[in-house]
Amino acid sequence: MKLKKYLALTRAGIIEALQFRLGSFVIVVGNLLYLIVVYFLWKAIYASAGTDVVNGMTFSDTLIYLALATALFNFMEMYAVWEIGRAIQSGKIVLDLLKPMKYRTYLFWSYSGSFVTNFFMTFLPTFIVVAAVTHGAVHLGLNLLWFVVSVVMAIIINYSIDFIVGTVCLYTESIWGINIMKQVIVLLLSGATIPLAFFPEGFRRAVECLPFQSIYNAPLSILLDAHPEPKKLTMTLGIQLLWCVVMTVISKLFWKVSLRRITVNGG
Amino acid sequence: MSAIIEIRNVTKEFRVLNRREGLRGSIKDLFSRDYKTVRAVDNISMSIQQGEIVGYLGPNGAGKSTTIKMMTGVLEPTSGEILIGGNVPYTNRTRNAQEIGVVFGQRSQLWWALPLIESFRLLKDIYMIGDKQYDSMLELYRSLVDIEPLLHKPVRQMSLGQRTLSDILAAFLHDPKIVFLDEPTIGLDVSMKAKIRTLISALNKEKNTTVILTTHDMGDVDALCQRIVIIDKGKMLYDNDIEHLKGFFGSYRTLKLRIDGDMKASAESIQKELPEFSVSADDEWISVLVDEEKAKVIDVLGKLQSSYRIKDMQLEEISTEEVIKKIYEEGVA
Repeated sequence: MKLKKYLALTRAGIIEALQFRLGSFVIVVGNLLYLIVVYFLWKAIYASAGTDVVNGMTFSDTLIYLALATALFNFMEMYAVWEIGRAIQSGKIVLDLLKPMKYRTYLFWSYSGSFVTNFFMTFLPTFIVVAAVTHGAVHLGLNLLWFVVSVVMAIIINYSIDFIVGTVCLYTESIWGINIMKQVIVLLLSGATIPLAFFPEGFRRAVECLPFQSIYNAPLSILLDAHPEPKKLTMTLGIQLLWCVVMTVISKLFWKVSLRRITVNGG
Repeated sequence: MSAIIEIRNVTKEFRVLNRREGLRGSIKDLFSRDYKTVRAVDNISMSIQQGEIVGYLGPNGAGKSTTIKMMTGVLEPTSGEILIGGNVPYTNRTRNAQEIGVVFGQRSQLWWALPLIESFRLLKDIYMIGDKQYDSMLELYRSLVDIEPLLHKPVRQMSLGQRTLSDILAAFLHDPKIVFLDEPTIGLDVSMKAKIRTLISALNKEKNTTVILTTHDMGDVDALCQRIVIIDKGKMLYDNDIEHLKGFFGSYRTLKLRIDGDMKASAESIQKELPEFSVSADDEWISVLVDEEKAKVIDVLGKLQSSYRIKDMQLEEISTEEVIKKIYEEGVA
């Protein structure tokens, strides 16, 4: 019964997203252009390196990784910071707060519809193309199942980070700069723009201790690893789960404390 | 009968940064800790029964919205106590939300890109409205307004009037005990205003919903409210039924006329013809303050029309601002 009210939001989100069909095509075209840039950039990097394998990754390994990372980005990115920031600036947040649902939950489920549409319209086509073009470089087996589990956790972590940054907007009343900063930090440190293997050793170690790598690096490494050692797999998923819990708790607490700011001092 | 809304000695203060002027001032403000306290709502108490329609009036910035936000649970009072159906709204905001409906005239809670019926279905699930209740509510809506053409229209394509109407229907959908309407008729034309007033009044009668209405339009108040609360600068000035207020002010309306020929001279002769009303004139208008208990405006107009050529006329209601001014000047008995 309770799930029904959340799924109703998912359903509305799907219908809403389908109203703007053109948007999805633009995203696909944009992706394509981005991948062309990525292709030539990394071609140049590999050419200047003079070897076929850089940091344990071949050119096609890198390209597959980045193509899938881009697809994953389009699917997972929810622009929640924008949404929260704008709601705060325009005062619309008052109406959202008056729904018989916690704001954090309400916002998440409002977005869930776009996960579904983006999954089918951007991620799946890219994945199929990559799998077909590379002739079996992407293993299709049990790793897909673990990938799905990993992506679900990645979404939760990503949302929590977005929500924390969005909450900061309550204090700053501006969105643009904060959002750009968050975007750059998350994309870089999560391995969405550059595979983590390319980072200098010390830096990479540090990054692996942060929650960001659980968003892109973790699901992609699971997807691309055809025969994972059980120990490594459990480790990756375990770390993700840990961050899931930690970030959810932090974002909830931070919101709870900050909400008092609205209720005490007005929007 | 116990009160559905109970407000006792509620005060709300905001801390506001003292802004300085100019570029230099703005830079200084970045580091400023110079706050001043603004009292938006000052020691207000009232108690409202189930099924009442209460007009909540006051000029802009009087503290109306702040009070409503406190009642809905979005704001926490600095001191005092609010109970909505026995709940403290700001500690049980989510639960309180189930019991109330809200329409802010300037904003919509509907899903912008979706047809109205989808918004209704969504609200049905969010508020966990049973199928039976939902169907009977839609049936009631159909009997009150012509909603069929609206149901399949995306909200973004609606006119302001249609959207306001839809928003009001959406606010009543889960059969809340209280509906807050914040300037629902703002910016609407006369026929839409009338339609919305009829709708609100019908829903209030049918469902015995308590309605708290803020407005600047005395027409809304006349058509809907039995009781009026007036606040200004956060302080409560008046809380009583509308008849009482009317009795206090009489039922005055100002009839303004523009007449061919010398206005001053005409004004004097009109005054002679109508000794019971006060007549004044400026360069543009001759104003006759008509007490409608003594004579109908239309009769006065008819009488004057037989002896003067009237080029233009206006009829002015006594406005909220004038009411408040009068209360300040004379106090309410």
